[in-house]
Amino acid sequence: MYPVWEVPGLTAGGVLALIATFHILPSHLSVSAMWLNLYLESKAYRENRPELLAFVRKYSRMLLIFAYVFGSITGVGIWFSASAAAPRALSGLIHNYVWGWATEWCFFLIEVAGIFTYYYTFDKVDRKTHLRIGWIFALGSWTTMVVIVGILTFMLTPGRWLVTGGFFDGFFNQTYWPQLFLRTTGMFAIAASYAVAVASRSEDERTRADVIRIASLWGLAGLALGTACFFWYRASLPEAARATFDVLLTPGLTRGMWVPIVLMAAYFAFLRLRPLTVGFTPALFAIAVLFVSIFSFERARELIRKPYLMPGFMYSNQIIGGELPAKGVAAETAAMNEKGILRFAPFVPDGLRVVTDANRLEAGRMVALIECSACHTLSPQGLRPLPQRVGSLGFTDADSLAGFIDGLGSYPYMPPFVGTEMEKKALAAYLISIAK
Amino acid sequence: MDTPAMLQLLRDPMGVPFYPAVFQILMVLTFALHLLFVNLSLGTTCLAVIGRLKGGDRWGRLAGGMAQAATASVSGAILLGVAPLLFVQVIYDPFWYASSNLSAGWAIGFIFILMAGYGSLYLARDRKGDAGSVFAGFSFAMFLSAGFIMHVLGFQLVQPEKWLGWYTSHGAASTAGTVLHDFSLPRFLHFVVPAFAVTGVFLMLYSWYFRARSDADAAQLEWAGRLGAKMAFHATTIEAVTGFLWLMVLPRDLSFHSHPLFVLGLILGLGLLGYLYHAQKQAKDHHRFAWPAAAGMLVVILEMAAAREALRVRYLARFGYAISDHRLNLDWGSTALFFGSFVPCLVVLAYILAVAFQSGRVAGLWEAGPRMKAWGKASIALLVAWLVIVAGLGLAITLRNRGL
Repeated sequence: MYPVWEVPGLTAGGVLALIATFHILPSHLSVSAMWLNLYLESKAYRENRPELLAFVRKYSRMLLIFAYVFGSITGVGIWFSASAAAPRALSGLIHNYVWGWATEWCFFLIEVAGIFTYYYTFDKVDRKTHLRIGWIFALGSWTTMVVIVGILTFMLTPGRWLVTGGFFDGFFNQTYWPQLFLRTTGMFAIAASYAVAVASRSEDERTRADVIRIASLWGLAGLALGTACFFWYRASLPEAARATFDVLLTPGLTRGMWVPIVLMAAYFAFLRLRPLTVGFTPALFAIAVLFVSIFSFERARELIRKPYLMPGFMYSNQIIGGELPAKGVAAETAAMNEKGILRFAPFVPDGLRVVTDANRLEAGRMVALIECSACHTLSPQGLRPLPQRVGSLGFTDADSLAGFIDGLGSYPYMPPFVGTEMEKKALAAYLISIAK
Repeated sequence: MDTPAMLQLLRDPMGVPFYPAVFQILMVLTFALHLLFVNLSLGTTCLAVIGRLKGGDRWGRLAGGMAQAATASVSGAILLGVAPLLFVQVIYDPFWYASSNLSAGWAIGFIFILMAGYGSLYLARDRKGDAGSVFAGFSFAMFLSAGFIMHVLGFQLVQPEKWLGWYTSHGAASTAGTVLHDFSLPRFLHFVVPAFAVTGVFLMLYSWYFRARSDADAAQLEWAGRLGAKMAFHATTIEAVTGFLWLMVLPRDLSFHSHPLFVLGLILGLGLLGYLYHAQKQAKDHHRFAWPAAAGMLVVILEMAAAREALRVRYLARFGYAISDHRLNLDWGSTALFFGSFVPCLVVLAYILAVAFQSGRVAGLWEAGPRMKAWGKASIALLVAWLVIVAGLGLAITLRNRGL
């Protein structure tokens, strides 16, 4: 319904995916790092080890800069790119969960003030106060995850919300707890991998060995518990989502999830025994390996909701296909089928609102922009390109392809075509014209 | 399709979970605070550039302090920018999404520009001399560019009658998102110039704050206070001029010059200007004027934010759009969640800021007194209590909904 943004070789959704997955690196670090810090800082005070405290300070500096420069800004970037990729879905999310986001923001206030104060008050305030600031940061930061997971999981498994429209019914949906525990346990592996990288540059051998040994143990525990929680998460998915998951999950994504976990487990186990063998570059590489697993999991998780953005309610192309009586919202599809999508949607050039012989291809392209471009590029390069997809189907004439488009809704992961007969034929004609 | 019909169609059908006026108030309040930090970021970064270029002990030390202050200011600006960005999407959803999507490439570019500027600021903080000035200068240029993009998105937002024309090129949809369609120089300057006024007052506060330390350099602080008072006065004078220029280019039919919030803003702004004139005329001890100047500045910024919102309401009323027309689907539970979190979070936030404030004012190690110790423990207890209550609520709802 809003202006479409086409990104050559990608899609607006692809941009969102890139920014969102990058955001995981600093955001999960910000939630997890302080727990390790608190453990090490307490140990440093208890055993009177200033060199260990020096590590804590370095690790905090990395947290401050990486998480609160790149993490904070890419967090905003997710909103901006979601606006560009799926403004109606983001709007729907915000109009239901504005107070959830605002609650998360309250804890974000604590997080940001906390990390600056924590970092700049080493040796400036008494030890107990410093640890208290650390505890406040750790709790506040983890609470942002407690809130965000409710909103994230709602988008994939809205549960009773579809019936009641209630905030908490959607928030505490069937995948809330497993995903909260999955992220909470997994975050320790992330904190550990960063800690190894920072510690690998420490000149003091004893500190390096101690930190890497401890971090490896945290890493192994995080991986083991995270893996268990993944199976809990998978079992909590609704039947239909699990079926979609199994159909769409490519071997590449499966390998992407599991191979890095195995490699990281071996890495941590090895470092537990030989902590001084790792250098800075291999440690950075290990973070990248872990990231591959997270990226693959997030991509796989996204598959679950096809053909919807908000399951049972809004299709991937942001057309509202379901009813939500609790909030007085009706499906749009009937009105669009009757009136025509090109007359219904506001951002359509006036000359394309009615399909004619003269404008058929341009009108068909406009329909494709509105209904297909969220997931498919219209150019031959990029994500799920339509020219190749249509070409591989083997249709050579618009009428046969129009028949195929008619049945799109019967695919479990495709939204149905919406619009008039003329618009369908225009779309088919356009697709045939670009097929490769 | 005419513009009012288009706006009605774009408005989110799910309505809002609480009275729109409450979101409007929160939006204005948080936007004002966001702007305060944006101004501080721009001003402190600019002073870091000037200080590094001028060199010498006095400017060099000031530049270091300003670069450090800028890193915290930018974080504050991002933090406080999230809230109005959220609330604007609640009550002005059609406008925000349409405007940002029309220039989507720039909206995404904003993120990378901001990241580059912020990253460079940390490099500037840790380097002196030419390298420091280059990194700080780069940051300043990036922050100005980011501000300009936001200005354009905000200006496109209030012109829905032009959207379709911008989106359409030669009868086809123009989907590249690479064009910034419209800007208003006076409006942009009205955003940028206060950076120097706010930073001037910040320097006066800086002079006041560090004076209490036993290791303070009184001459340096006196100089910084005087510099701040002069900056604040001159920038506020220029700001008044840009305000009038902006008023002159506004569409006539808005009649904003007669709006009570504009008139009030004018009176308050001139009052602040008079006070700053008086402060900078003093031969010494400018720090004594720091708190009244800061309070006055805050009031003026809050008022200006409210006036800007009033202007936006007038702009959009031309198309029959009113935030009160959003369908109201009251949700008391989530509203209680927010306010029930907001108040304890403010208590915890105040504790953190109190530690930072008090520890920065002593030269050596700062030790918490009994009251601060109790406040710290209470802050942790509040956070744990929040988690226990929400977990209990979550378990109860999960069990109730199981099998339904």
